[in-house]
Amino acid sequence: MRSTLLTALWLVSLGPLGLVLTVGADDGKAGEGLDLFEKRIRPLLAARCEKCHSQAQGKTRGGLALDTRAGWQIGGDNGSPIIPGKPDASLLIQAVRQTTEGLRMPPQDAGGRLKPDEIAALTQWIRLGAPDPRTGKAAVQRMTADEARHWWSFQPLAQVRPPAVSGDPDRGNSSRGNSSRGNSSRGNSSRDNPIDRFVRARLAARNDSLATAATRRPADSPPASTGSRRLAPAPPADKRILIRRATFDLIGLPPTPQEVAAFVHDDSPDAFAHVVNRLLASPTYGQRWARHWLDVVRYADYYDADAKARQMTAEPLDAWRYRDWVVDALNNDLPFDRFIVHQIAGDLLSNPDGSDIYPAGLIATTFLSNGVWDPHDADKEKIVSDIADDNIDTIGKAFLGLTLGCARCHDHKFDRVTTADYYGLAGMFYSSHILAKLGTKGGAYTMNRVPLVPAAVVQRRQHQLKQLADLQAQLQALDKQSPKPADEDPRRVRLVAAREQLQRELLPEPPRAIAVQEGGTPGGLFPGIQDVPIHIRGSYARLGRVVPRRLPQFLAGDKQPPISSGSGRLQLANWVASADNPLTARVIVNRVWQWHFGAGLVRTPSNFGKLGTRPTHPQLLDWLSGRFVADGWSLKQLHRRIMLSATYQQSSRRLPAHFTQDPENHWLARFAPRRLEAEALRDALLCVAGQLDTTTGGPAGQDFTIQRRSLYVQTARWNRSSFANLFDAANPDASTEKRTNSTIAPQALLLLNHPFAQQQSRRLAERLLHDRPHDINTRIDYAYRLLFARPATAEEIEIARQLIGGGDPASWTLWAHVLLCSNEFVYVD
Amino acid sequence: MLSRSSLSRRELLARGGCGFGLLALADLLAQEARTSTAGNRAASPYAAQAPHHSPRAKRIIFLYMPGGPSHVDLLDPKPRLAQENGKPLPFKKPSLERTKTGNLLASPWKFAPRGQAGIEVSELLPGLASQIDKVCVIRSMLADNINHTGAALQMCTGEQAFSRPSMGSWLTYGLGTENQNLPSFVVVSPSAVFQGAQLWASSFLPSAYQGTLIRDMDKPIANLAPASGDFDLQRRKLDALKRLNAIHKQDRNIDSELDARIASFELAFRMQREAPEAFDLTRETAATHQLYGTKNKTTELFGRQCLLARRLVERGVRYVQLFDAPQNNAWDHHGGIKDRLPARCWAVDQPITALLSDLEARGLLQDTLVLWGGEFGRTPTAEGTNGREHHPFGFTMWMAGGGIRGGMVHGKTDDYGWHAAEDIVHVHDLHATILHLMGLNHERLTFRHGGRDYRLTDVHGHVVSDILA
Repeated sequence: MRSTLLTALWLVSLGPLGLVLTVGADDGKAGEGLDLFEKRIRPLLAARCEKCHSQAQGKTRGGLALDTRAGWQIGGDNGSPIIPGKPDASLLIQAVRQTTEGLRMPPQDAGGRLKPDEIAALTQWIRLGAPDPRTGKAAVQRMTADEARHWWSFQPLAQVRPPAVSGDPDRGNSSRGNSSRGNSSRGNSSRDNPIDRFVRARLAARNDSLATAATRRPADSPPASTGSRRLAPAPPADKRILIRRATFDLIGLPPTPQEVAAFVHDDSPDAFAHVVNRLLASPTYGQRWARHWLDVVRYADYYDADAKARQMTAEPLDAWRYRDWVVDALNNDLPFDRFIVHQIAGDLLSNPDGSDIYPAGLIATTFLSNGVWDPHDADKEKIVSDIADDNIDTIGKAFLGLTLGCARCHDHKFDRVTTADYYGLAGMFYSSHILAKLGTKGGAYTMNRVPLVPAAVVQRRQHQLKQLADLQAQLQALDKQSPKPADEDPRRVRLVAAREQLQRELLPEPPRAIAVQEGGTPGGLFPGIQDVPIHIRGSYARLGRVVPRRLPQFLAGDKQPPISSGSGRLQLANWVASADNPLTARVIVNRVWQWHFGAGLVRTPSNFGKLGTRPTHPQLLDWLSGRFVADGWSLKQLHRRIMLSATYQQSSRRLPAHFTQDPENHWLARFAPRRLEAEALRDALLCVAGQLDTTTGGPAGQDFTIQRRSLYVQTARWNRSSFANLFDAANPDASTEKRTNSTIAPQALLLLNHPFAQQQSRRLAERLLHDRPHDINTRIDYAYRLLFARPATAEEIEIARQLIGGGDPASWTLWAHVLLCSNEFVYVD
Repeated sequence: MLSRSSLSRRELLARGGCGFGLLALADLLAQEARTSTAGNRAASPYAAQAPHHSPRAKRIIFLYMPGGPSHVDLLDPKPRLAQENGKPLPFKKPSLERTKTGNLLASPWKFAPRGQAGIEVSELLPGLASQIDKVCVIRSMLADNINHTGAALQMCTGEQAFSRPSMGSWLTYGLGTENQNLPSFVVVSPSAVFQGAQLWASSFLPSAYQGTLIRDMDKPIANLAPASGDFDLQRRKLDALKRLNAIHKQDRNIDSELDARIASFELAFRMQREAPEAFDLTRETAATHQLYGTKNKTTELFGRQCLLARRLVERGVRYVQLFDAPQNNAWDHHGGIKDRLPARCWAVDQPITALLSDLEARGLLQDTLVLWGGEFGRTPTAEGTNGREHHPFGFTMWMAGGGIRGGMVHGKTDDYGWHAAEDIVHVHDLHATILHLMGLNHERLTFRHGGRDYRLTDVHGHVVSDILA
């Protein structure tokens, strides 16, 4: 009981724990040093440094605070400026001696150089171990080595069993005592389902701890009303609501009236499992879930690097092949570990069918090449380092839930990632390239467009092209003869015939992908396979010591086998995709949970580090992650597990306690209603109007008024004025962990006035008239079933009839338009 | 959350809207926004938010000169350039250099002390010179990036490489808006700007806070006209919609999100009626058009932009950013500077002069902050024979209006106009100062994203208190 109470209280007050630092030096020298500190150093720092380096004064230039011990221990952009005992190695001393270009403190406008005796005092103080009694907390506290050893997300998955649920967690709320019976017709009960057992046990512990706390209250405190603070799980959702929820969730489209009716009338215990399986088997599942993944990988249909991409008329390049690969991978339930390896190192995989080229592997590495950097940067070396940074940052966030990119310029401010860890990884990306040529300063560079056919085929085509050119030259030479040979001239006839034959046989231009290849960027500072030096403050112009290519030590340890061949990307990919990596399974399981429920068990899905939030249900996360790995990293199996739980199938209707006690739904005592995302809204409009073009794959269309699914409408980084953007689609400039949700008048203006919205209203009205030609009430009811998966009520039929009046097609359009704008159409319960 | 009574009052206003002057309506709406939705971003992302301290300015017009105007030819006179014309810069250039520039290049234009303050202004800006006593010229600007993209990103978002919310997004997030019938953050750019939407992006802030781009001033807001042009028909539609939404809400308890969406349709309806008026420059008098030079070919484009900016801030738009962009990077004078710089000055000087005097005449200047500049300045050394390169190491911007001390120069560059030398104002400091003037503490205006609190000024920035009135 005590432990559950403590956990529950901890959960209520999630917050960073203060880090207590102890005084560094412990012997006689410390006494001497402390004396010196009080007499000389404290006043000196206050007078000459803290104007710009003080947490208390809110000025920390270069990220450095010198007004607390923690401030300088954590350090600024250049790391910690003081190495106790080693004045000559301390940046602070180098800075005040003003011997290093770019590192001269205090600056001229802050009074300039210190006096020699001041410098001597600082030097002596550091030699004595830099004892510093100032215990003020620094604003930011980096994870200590000890913290990292115990950090929740770095621990192996806990081997947990679903807790036994004794009785109903909803004790005391007699009005809804039969929730498990309500669920039984859907194939499980909250007592059997492991997810529910974790969730209900946690909820029961919460309620129990409240009750316990209430009994311990002093007698003179206000009476505790634990009854109103108890959270009870919501009852199961209505079947019509459930199928609408599940259908939008898995395929991003509304259920048809037939599908709804079939489910409502299916009383078998597996009825809902059938629905889930049907939806998972549909190819539209991949189209829906690919979009979630594309948010995470900052997908855009154009490469920024392509100058033509900024012209609206440019043809979309090869990025769509990656989007289609993701759709296929999801539909085929490619194990998620393989999914990872393909994206980081697919170019290094061999084709399972034995052929000498593996197009899917090459295409998958578009994950790395479809990045964000400044294509106009005149400084080409900086572009190379920006690409490496984009790759590290995206891999860290997408797969590991770590902000590795933060260590580019300085040791990570909060997590254990060092610049050495960063450049150990960076070496792998400096030993790989996505630019075919670096180009010159101020000039253009070219992307690495890799043919997706065997080399022999490419050579054959090149040979054919050369032959064609030869024939052409011979023909021209012939025509230049005087007199010009006649058309029937046998030499000419022979050449023309040969040319025609060759043109018929000419192999087509091979499809290409902008894939990653081994070896550094040709023409760059690091053109080969090599380890790279630490870039001080992220600049290639200031290089430090070389770090061997390796995995981050705080996670992978310091006894790693050296990377002896290749860039190291394959080793990285295999390590990320390993069942032993404590982060990978947790991160994707949490994302999938978020995409089902609107919020993850960890609410910062791309940050499992110190600044992330802790899981609300850590045991559930570990259990699900363990099952996910045991299931062969199957996403479809994970969907099934989640959706067949009573937790997923709860009603979204809120009880008063849900509002006051858990507005953020941390305890999962209800389902959270959600607005359709940009893509689902647009697809649903087209779908109910009978206008959705279900063509799959291929280059994206440019304008949102086309009729294909939104997945196939282009996203472009330089244009943020599209339909998708207006409705909060992901910003492809960076990995998006969770979309924002804004409600603004321009959205309403588009739905009211844009020709696209009017068109769907007209088509919907036509469809209603066509499908239900006779009875008006039946037609109105049909519309409700089509849009909302339920029959219309008498009141709604009355409202419709008032608006429709005489019933000319224009009135039906008017009413259809109202339905398409309604909250019920846009929200999923 | 909108209360029932406020909703019906809104309706009342909307229905009787024809009888109200726009300003009266905007005023009432602003009051209402403050009282009924105060602080509640869930009900409306634009709900007016309480500032951190009493603001000196309520709105901003940023006159952005893309490409980088030459400080040594416009507002930072350097006699040494004339004395040592053609000689090498007498100290080592920073290693951060884009292309090699040659020797020192004197400004071909004359400077003279202007206004009571006697601030030296180039002959290329006679209009600004006439207003100089309203202006604080900052001659010690410092930026970090030598390329347009990175430098412009830094000027507009504070960050040179990664996607971050723009200053206008931060301000509308921090303060909301005082007129819900208009976008709160408007960007006017007649042609595409090099860096595109990133300069007014909301990035990880909700997309409601991103700038609304107006390219064609004749068609300012998308989807503004009712389909049939028939407001009555649309009203019927919206009334039916309200009834359906009310039924939908009944058994869903009270949900501010649903309410917000209901309200957004009513706002949209009012925007249709009222926004066109805000953008309609024909409602201005001939004298005003004359003042802004909208009928003169040279000044027409920027004149219309400035006049529109005034109409928008007058109606409570929080942040207006004008790009002087007849074409891309119009101020990027690598060559032909002797002809091209005067051409730009002639195009913007009269409109800017008109804007300052018009704002003052209408009593708006005291709480409207006007800001002028580009992403950097240009080298005091020559590129070729008739051009200057990018120069972030020391350059000039100016501010006027709300909370700014007019008629002063802040900071200086060295004798050659190369390095910012005294009272250096980094871009982060500029941002901190702007937020301060708007009533926001740049260290407290934060947004949690990816588990970290972000700021416009990252971990930098000092308020430049010397320039505050």
